[in-house]
Amino acid sequence: MNLVITPTMVGQVVISGLLAGSLYAMVALGLGLIFGVMRVLNVAHGPMLMLGAYTTFWLFHWLGLSPYLSLLVSMPALFVVGVVLQRLLVRRVVDAPELSSLLLTFGVSIALVNLTQLAFTSDLRSVEYLTGSFLLGPFAFSKSRVIACAFAILITAGAFWFLQKTRLGKALRAVSQSREVAQVCGIDVQRIHMLAFGVASALAAAGGSLVAVMVAIQPEMGQVYTFKSFLVIVLGGAGNYPGALLGGLLLGLVEQLSSLFLTTQVNEAVAYLLLVLVLLVRPTGLLKGRSS
Amino acid sequence: MKRALLAGLAVVLVALALYPMQATGYGVRTMLQLFMWVALAQSWNLISGLTGYVSFGHVAFFGMGAYTAGILIGKLGWAWPAACLAGGVMAMVLALVIGWPCLRLKGPYFAIAMLGLNEVLRVIVSYYEGLTGGGNGLSLPTLHASVPIYYAMGLVALAVTALTYLIITSRFGLRLMTIREDEVAAEAMGIDAFRHKLYAFLLSAVGPGVVGGLAARDQGYIEPLSVFPLIMTITMIVMVLFGGKGTIWGPVLGAVVLFVFQELVWARFIYLHQLFFGAIIVAVVLLMPRGILGVLQQKYNLPRTI
Repeated sequence: MNLVITPTMVGQVVISGLLAGSLYAMVALGLGLIFGVMRVLNVAHGPMLMLGAYTTFWLFHWLGLSPYLSLLVSMPALFVVGVVLQRLLVRRVVDAPELSSLLLTFGVSIALVNLTQLAFTSDLRSVEYLTGSFLLGPFAFSKSRVIACAFAILITAGAFWFLQKTRLGKALRAVSQSREVAQVCGIDVQRIHMLAFGVASALAAAGGSLVAVMVAIQPEMGQVYTFKSFLVIVLGGAGNYPGALLGGLLLGLVEQLSSLFLTTQVNEAVAYLLLVLVLLVRPTGLLKGRSS
Repeated sequence: MKRALLAGLAVVLVALALYPMQATGYGVRTMLQLFMWVALAQSWNLISGLTGYVSFGHVAFFGMGAYTAGILIGKLGWAWPAACLAGGVMAMVLALVIGWPCLRLKGPYFAIAMLGLNEVLRVIVSYYEGLTGGGNGLSLPTLHASVPIYYAMGLVALAVTALTYLIITSRFGLRLMTIREDEVAAEAMGIDAFRHKLYAFLLSAVGPGVVGGLAARDQGYIEPLSVFPLIMTITMIVMVLFGGKGTIWGPVLGAVVLFVFQELVWARFIYLHQLFFGAIIVAVVLLMPRGILGVLQQKYNLPRTI
């Protein structure tokens, strides 16, 4: 704590913050999609990430598959899980008050965490894949973080391309703007809901596969990402997709800066303070969000 | 009919008041926990059942009360009744600080802010070790009798239920329910929605604050994980939902049924218990979102003040 803070350290921290933030942005974009399209806050978003991380772990453990290649498995697998979940359960609470969807997805979240615990125990697992750092002038960055950031940017860009350019993506945005009008235009809203949930879960899974290399994998690892994703979408403006990106980067930055100037333990508290301040000054988030 | 109900209520109260004379220490502590859940569920009902604003981290007030009382008793040597009341006051202060920015907003912000509040309090309490003992927890001087806590807890449960009755039968309560049904219409009718929500929120924080203090006193030891568990908020919510949200007796009914169920059934399945709980949540949300009393109210056209 008594270290002198040099400009180099600040630079290092800013870049680390952006690296972490790009992951938050990708994961939170998924949560934002579900909220934007269905007005459902998915508490099970973090556990989806956890499932993605386990997929990567087992593929690495059994087959020695590279964690980055396992994205090709974890994302489609969790896409399917998301679609099924939407079809079976979440569909029934889309029009109910927010309490119903919060509780329902919380129930799902407990079930997923505990099933994982029963299946794989609570042992901490890790994927020993890429260690060491890239050196760039005075800065050093762990390789796994840089590569995770690159993949996150790629996947997020892919998601935006999908939303902006493809017919399905446009339909999805249409539903999130106005469900009734979209329906009148001939869009199958139920299908779009399933699609949104699937894409969102795939984004969470991608997050899980990418963090699998950096952090300990255990059944309860997801909750903290649920919380962070909530923060991000409120910061950026709930239901505003570019806002999720801005919010994610901001959260990454704030966390790293607070680790530098205060201590790592209060990261969450600082991020939360930021959230309350943003709500006070700009209740709709930094970019304009929507209320439900 | 009404007279019979009142008489029945009086009998139950007298029986509960005499119970500690007969009971074993285990019995007293079990009943004390039941009272705690009634008070918690009823308090959550005040804000979320009446106004529709989901407090997804109500246990934050419980933890706030627990730590306030724990510190006052353990470090400053306060008597426990005063310390627990102080816990209630601090919970109210916390509710004011968090409700002021967050209750102005419609949409999901309030639920998220409350969820976050609980996480953040846990982090802060773990961090300020000097005051709170951090992750090692805080031990209170030993207390040999649970009976005074039993009465205090019962009194809080009764008080919160009486408060709910007063609110639901008052104009204030009607305004809260108008906000729940349609906030824009409520404001158009001249109701200051923000102030009403804030008052309801403050009232809903006192009970958990005091109860948190009492629970800390009873257990004699608190730590961040034991007084800020998200699952406790969910349990309150499920109790209210199961009994019937927005009613007077629904939270009591839900708390009793789920508590008994928990003691008798779940305790036997340590590993599956959480999984069951997840399934119960999903079932209650999908199958009976109005709760037992809600269904009965609709079916038999019962009064709102039940």
